[in-house]
Amino acid sequence: MDVSQYLEIFIDETSEHIQALSDNIMALEKEPHDMDTVNEIFRAAHSLKGMAGTMGFKRMQHLTHTMEDVFQEVRSDKVQVNSSMIDILFKCLDAIEGYLDNVKNTSNEGTDDNEALVKSLEDYLHAAEGGASAPEEKPAASTAEENAASTDAEQSGEAAYLSLELADEEKDAIRASLNAGQKVYGVTAYIDKECLLKAARAFLVFKAVEEFGQIIVFNPSSQDIEDEKFEFDFSFFLATAETDFDKIATAAKAVTEIVEVLGGEVDEAFLNGGKSEEAESVAETAPAVAQPAAQAAPATQEAKASGTTNAPATKNKPVAGRTVRVDIEKLDSLMNQVSELIIAKNSLVSLSNSTDGKGLTQQEATEQIEYLERITTTLHESVMKVRMVPIESTVNKFPRMIRDLSRKLDKKMELIMTGEDTELDRTVVDQIGDPLQHLLRNSADHGLESAEIRKERGKPETGTIRLDAYQEGNNVIIEVSDDGNGIDTEAVKAKAIERGVVTADQAETMSQKEIIDMLFMPSFSMAKTITDISGRGVGLDVVKSNIEALGGDVEVKSKLGEGSKFTVRLPLTLAIIQALMVEVRDEKYAIALASIETIENISVTDIKYVEAKEVINLRGVVIPIIRLDQILECTPEKEDDDNLTVVIVRKGDKLVGLVVDNLGGQQEIVIKSLGKYISYNKIISGATVLGDGGIALILDVNVLM
Amino acid sequence: MTELAMNEDTAMQYIVVKIGSEQYGINIASVDNIIRMQKITRVPTAQFYFKGVLNLRGVIVPVMSIHQRMELEESEITDKSRVVILRIEENGLLGIIVDEVSEVVTLTRDEIDPPNRDSRSTKDSFINGIGKNGGRLISLFDISTIVDQEETA
Repeated sequence: MDVSQYLEIFIDETSEHIQALSDNIMALEKEPHDMDTVNEIFRAAHSLKGMAGTMGFKRMQHLTHTMEDVFQEVRSDKVQVNSSMIDILFKCLDAIEGYLDNVKNTSNEGTDDNEALVKSLEDYLHAAEGGASAPEEKPAASTAEENAASTDAEQSGEAAYLSLELADEEKDAIRASLNAGQKVYGVTAYIDKECLLKAARAFLVFKAVEEFGQIIVFNPSSQDIEDEKFEFDFSFFLATAETDFDKIATAAKAVTEIVEVLGGEVDEAFLNGGKSEEAESVAETAPAVAQPAAQAAPATQEAKASGTTNAPATKNKPVAGRTVRVDIEKLDSLMNQVSELIIAKNSLVSLSNSTDGKGLTQQEATEQIEYLERITTTLHESVMKVRMVPIESTVNKFPRMIRDLSRKLDKKMELIMTGEDTELDRTVVDQIGDPLQHLLRNSADHGLESAEIRKERGKPETGTIRLDAYQEGNNVIIEVSDDGNGIDTEAVKAKAIERGVVTADQAETMSQKEIIDMLFMPSFSMAKTITDISGRGVGLDVVKSNIEALGGDVEVKSKLGEGSKFTVRLPLTLAIIQALMVEVRDEKYAIALASIETIENISVTDIKYVEAKEVINLRGVVIPIIRLDQILECTPEKEDDDNLTVVIVRKGDKLVGLVVDNLGGQQEIVIKSLGKYISYNKIISGATVLGDGGIALILDVNVLM
Repeated sequence: MTELAMNEDTAMQYIVVKIGSEQYGINIASVDNIIRMQKITRVPTAQFYFKGVLNLRGVIVPVMSIHQRMELEESEITDKSRVVILRIEENGLLGIIVDEVSEVVTLTRDEIDPPNRDSRSTKDSFINGIGKNGGRLISLFDISTIVDQEETA
C-alpha cells in the first residue's frame, strides 16, 4: 500500500506535465488546428491520468480523465477548440495544480472534486455526441450509479469465493491449515471498474492481508492476477491466527480503488460442498455491504473522508522539491571524470607496486599528482555545475500569467522571452520567480496603456513585454521591459511630496534617477486605484529587498511615453565563469573572460592625457586607462616599466584599459561570495578559490565604466 | 531548585581567548571552528579592521583583526595566534584573529555580572557581561556588536 516513496517522483513529473500542458495549450490557442499540439496535450493528460491513478488520487484522475476525453474528441475533429474551452482548460490546470499542492503539503489530494470544471468539460463532450444525453446530469451521479450497479451485482450473487471450484490440492492445503489450528477465511475483493492498474491493486491487497497470515489459495491464479487476467474481482483463501475477520477486511479495503471486500470463515463443511454456513457468514458481513453504496456516491463527503483516513499514506509531511533534474550530459561528464579518477588511482597503485622495489621516483610522483589534481579540479567543477539549472523552470510559467493578465486587464499584450537557458544556482532560480513575476505584473498593469491610448500614440495595439536573460561577466542580468507608458516622474514627484517623503524643494533638485529610485521605497505604490494585480503598496520595495537578499540589485530606466526597463542583476554565488587571471603586485585577481576585448602591450610613452586622465590611442580608438594598483590600493608603489600590460575590457560600446603587472592563464573559476560583513569596493564582485587553496578576488569591470 | 537543574538551565560554556593582555570569553554556541593562522587575502578598500578573506575548505570567510576592531594596539601574529571562526545565523561565517585560545570554561548565571558601563567612554562596548572564573575575570563578547555594520558606515 505504500506508494509514498514514489511521491517525490510523482510531484516532479506532474509539475513537468502541467508545464507541458500549459505550454501546449498556449500554443493551441494561437493555432487551434495544429494536430501535433493536440496530440501532445492528449499525451500529457493521459500520463497525468495514469500517474494520478497509480498514486490513488482519484479526483485528480477523474479530472485528467475528462480532459483526456475532451482531447480525444478534439483529435477526432468532433469538437472545435475555442477560447472559452481554452479558459476551461487553464482552469483545469489550476485545479490540477491545486491537487498537486495538496499532495505536496499533506501527501493527499484534498477533497475538492472540481465538479463544476468536470461538468463544463463534459458539456463539450456531450456537445460532441450531439447533446443526446442530458447535460445537467452530474458526472458524479453517473459514476455513482455505475458503482451502485456493481454493488447490486455483488449483493445479488454470493461472494465469488463461495462458488469457486477448488482443486483437490487446494482443498488439501486448506484442510492442512485447518488441522494446524489456524482459521481459514475465504475472501473476495472487488476493484473499482475504472481502476487502471488492477494487478497493482491486487498485489497491494495481498500485501495487506499477508500481515495477518498466509494466502494459501489464489483464484484466479497468482500468475493470472499478475498479468491482469481477471475482471473486477479476485478471491483468495487466507490461513491466519486472526479471529476477527473485519480487521482483515478493513486492511484490504484500505487499498484505494478496492470497492468492497467480502469474506468469511471456511471450514471442513465448506470444502465438502456444504454452503449453509458460508451463507450465514456472508450475512454477518452484510452491514459492510451497506457501505459500498455510500462509498459509491462520490458526493458523500463522509465516505470520502473515512476512505482517506483509512489510507496509511496520510502523513502530514510536506514533500518539497529537493531534487535537481540534471542534464544527462553533465552526468556523463561526471561519470567520465570519476572513471578517470579510478584510472589515476590504479596507475598510482601499479607504480608503487613496481618490481624494482624503489617505489615512485620523484618525477613519477609529481606527474601522478598533477594528473590527480587535474581530475579532481574538473570533478569539483562538474559537481558544482550540476547545481546550476536554467532559469527556464521559473520563467516558463510567465506566458500563461501574461495571458491571464491580458484577459483580466482587457489589454492586448504579448510576452517575448529570450535567454531561458541562462543558468543560475538552483537556490537562486527558485527565488527569483516572485520578484520577476511582480515586475511583469507591474509592466502589464501600470506600464502598458490600454489599446485605445496606444492607438492614439501611434503604437501597435498589442503591447510588448520582454523578459531577457543573459550572462554578463559575473552577473546574470534579467531585464523586464515594456513599450508602455514609462514612468511619469512628475507624478512620482507629486506623490512623494504628498506622502511627505521629500519636500517640494528637495524634489526640485532631484535627478530623474533619484526620482525613479523612490519607487523602490516601502509603501510607495503608483497605482491610482488598487487592483489585485499589483499596487497594494507592497510593490517594488519587496522586489528590491528580495533581489538584494539574493545579493543582486535592480535598476530602472524609463522614458515617459516609450516604456520602462527593469534590470535585475544577480551575482552568481555559485556560478562558474571563464576568467583571465592577472597579477597586480603580488596579488591575484580574476577578470571575466567574456568582458575582455584584447590584451595589449603598450609603451609608457604612448599614454596621453585628456582632461588630466590617462588615455591611449589604440588603433584610432581613444581608451581611458585605469591603473588597477591604484584602485586596489596596492602597496608598494611601483615605478612604471617601459612597457605596460593593458587588458582592454568592454561593456556595451565602452572600452577601458586596465593596467596589470602580469598575466596568468585562463581558468574556469567558481564564484563565491565574500559574505555580508566585509564592505568592499564595488569593483570586487566576489572571490574564487584557486587550485593551491589560495584566494583570488574577482574584478567586476562593469563597475569601472 | 536542585543544583543540577540550575546548571542545566543557566550554565553556558565559553571559549576563553587572549586578546592583548585580557581574557575574553566567546559563547561556544557561536563558534564554528578554531584554526591556525593561514594565508589571508587582502580585500581592497574593506573596513580597516578586516584583514581580508581566507579559504576554509572551499568557503570564503572574511577575517577581522579583533585588535583593530576594538581599537587596541595591533599585536604580532605568533605561533599561538588563532582564527576563531564564528557562525552567525543567516549571515554565515566570520573569522576573528585572537592572540591565543586557552580553554573552555563553564559559567553559571550567578558567575556572570553585567558589564560596567562607563557613561563617559565614547568607545563602543563589545561585551555583554563579565564572567568570574576562580580568581579570573573574563569579558564576555557580545558577538552581535562585533559585526554591527551600522557604526562602520
